[in-house]
Amino acid sequence: MQDRPDAADLLDSVAEYLFAELRPEVPREQRFKVLVAANLCAVVAREIRAGEEPEQEDLTLFGELLGRKVDDVRAAAAELSDRIRSGELDDRIEELAPRLEEHVRRKLEVARPGYTD
Amino acid sequence: MPEPSTESVRSLIADVDADPGELSLSPIPGGASRETWLIEAGEGRWVLRRDPEGSASLVPLSDEFSLIARASEAGVAVPEPLAFEPAGGRLGTAGILMPFIDGTSVAPRILRKPDYETARSRLTTQLGEALARIHSIDPASLNAVLPEPKGDPALAQISEWESQLDEIGEPLPAVELGLRWLRANAPEPAEQRLVHGDFRLGNFIVDERGLAAVIDWELAHLGDPAEDVGWLCIRSWRFGNDDRPVAGVGQLDEFATAYEAAGGAPIDRDRVRYWEAFGNVKWAVICARQAHDHLTGVRRSHELASLGRRICEPECDFLQLVQHRTGCPSATPAEHPPTT
Repeated sequence: MQDRPDAADLLDSVAEYLFAELRPEVPREQRFKVLVAANLCAVVAREIRAGEEPEQEDLTLFGELLGRKVDDVRAAAAELSDRIRSGELDDRIEELAPRLEEHVRRKLEVARPGYTD
Repeated sequence: MPEPSTESVRSLIADVDADPGELSLSPIPGGASRETWLIEAGEGRWVLRRDPEGSASLVPLSDEFSLIARASEAGVAVPEPLAFEPAGGRLGTAGILMPFIDGTSVAPRILRKPDYETARSRLTTQLGEALARIHSIDPASLNAVLPEPKGDPALAQISEWESQLDEIGEPLPAVELGLRWLRANAPEPAEQRLVHGDFRLGNFIVDERGLAAVIDWELAHLGDPAEDVGWLCIRSWRFGNDDRPVAGVGQLDEFATAYEAAGGAPIDRDRVRYWEAFGNVKWAVICARQAHDHLTGVRRSHELASLGRRICEPECDFLQLVQHRTGCPSATPAEHPPTT
């Protein structure tokens, strides 16, 4: 056990410092870089807080689309990518679009919450 | 990045202008794959674009030089190139010397600063006129500059970005679906024109009066002119002004009116939507490629790293666009009048 703040809280503190305190202090050309750094801290904090669930949901989704149980999410995404590329799923594009949107929305929840509002 | 030597830059300027004397160099941020340096000497200001060490780009700098010169002849506002220095010359890698253009290319400033209010009101029309002039350039005059078009322009572009994705090796099923959808839905091949390839907010220098220059020609190729319109309109280049598809400032109808009045062929809205779908897929691949450059050490940068986590934005825009739901397409699907 580590003492508090936990990892996500620590990142929040860095993000707040970068965004609210440092950004106005640096030359204008540097401000965007500081904003990006603050955003990255916030992304990582959200990823930590989201835990294992989004990856489990992607595993389930990719397993359904591949028609078998999968346990490595990147390997499953790669296999699905290969099968889509080969054209064998061309007659299922309309069915796959909303399913892959579920996966993409899980990425957005961490990277850019509110993007689809 | 290592600075070019001030002595070499000074002699380069002296070749085409008077000896500028002592000068200083500072990097201009924002260039995706080429270095851009601001040169200052007393009252004089220039811009140097240089290939980074060990990089390969789609349009070699020597050809970019010729293209920009050709665009200038066609009446497009560009920074008129002054000198080209080949790789192995005074700058180390290849470089182009250009005049400095006053204004900004930074999207949030253009979209939000009160100083640019007049510019914003003019920009949509000015962009339509500029793009019509780019597309008016005779492709035959570019034979020596750009590769021969490879058959169907949509399929050629899909293959191009597919192979870019293969070089990265990132598993992106939504992008793969996009590439298949684009193959299945490619429009009738268009008559090929010069396509700028990166005609979007961020590559326009804007001053208080509006468009001052179109920059960054490194993705130029021969292709479907509607490709430039779709790319201009993707949600990522609206920088938050989601209800204004044209560069975050205007509507497609106003843009099309100006484009057509300046000699451009009538803009087919369905075709623009197709290229907007394509643009989302292309931007997703570019994001992945930039993150890959960071991961592999080609260029370590937290800005490039951050783009890896932005792949999902154009992926989402693409998926919504092809499912005809919400999202922010530039134009609603054309309502075909009932035939009798």
